[in-house]
Amino acid sequence: MAGSALTITESRRGNVCIVALEGRVDSSNAGDLSTSIERLISSGEKSILVDLGAVLYLTSAAFRALLVATDEAERNAARFALCSLAGHVRELFDVSGMLELFTVLPSREEALARLG
Amino acid sequence: MPREPINFTIRNDLADLPTVSEMLDRVAQGAGMPTRALMQLQVALDEILSNAIKYAWPDGGSHYLRISFDVHDDAMDIAIVDDGRPFDPRAQAPSDPAAPGSRPRPGGLGIHLVRQLVDGFSYTRVDNCNRVTLTKRYTSGLSEQER
Repeated sequence: MAGSALTITESRRGNVCIVALEGRVDSSNAGDLSTSIERLISSGEKSILVDLGAVLYLTSAAFRALLVATDEAERNAARFALCSLAGHVRELFDVSGMLELFTVLPSREEALARLG
Repeated sequence: MPREPINFTIRNDLADLPTVSEMLDRVAQGAGMPTRALMQLQVALDEILSNAIKYAWPDGGSHYLRISFDVHDDAMDIAIVDDGRPFDPRAQAPSDPAAPGSRPRPGGLGIHLVRQLVDGFSYTRVDNCNRVTLTKRYTSGLSEQER
């Protein structure tokens, strides 16, 4: 699991800005995630999709960053959704009671169809 | 087979946490800990360390935390020791009321996760230090499909 620090990759499909996360999202890097998403929202993006398909695990710092982003998106009338929660990551959302607080879509394709 | 505990020190700086996660990866893999157990332990350890870094020294300054990984046949114990003010993370009250018009904040979420993800979570105040111990049980050597 060497080199599993967080990598944040932004891309675009139509109107949707995709933020793909890879690696661990923990208290050392959750601030980077917040910064990325806040920048997108403040630059006027109206559809943001966070793809967690390559995330190893998330800590409460990551959940807080995603909650703050959700509120910020709402205030700016932007759509904000998460996709591709699998395995251990989905289990962490479940255990933390966070699943119902987010718009969670199964796959990137389904999310793009919904948000695009 | 009993092994020697692995002891090391980090600064009270969140930037030191990746070193800890990488070390835990190596030790856990050497011990044959299944991936799911390792991920759960990584989350719990991050919660305890980030809590200590945020709350143990209200006046700031440069301090150190001592960490030890103690691997047994079917469990790993992790001890985290700091010389900050007395702070029992298990007693952390849910807080962070929601701002008007926004979602409820998950107060105490980190500690809730720790309780759910590890098999043992204890706190003692010893020699003017806080000592938190996490225990994660596992069955080593599961096939990749079972992890």
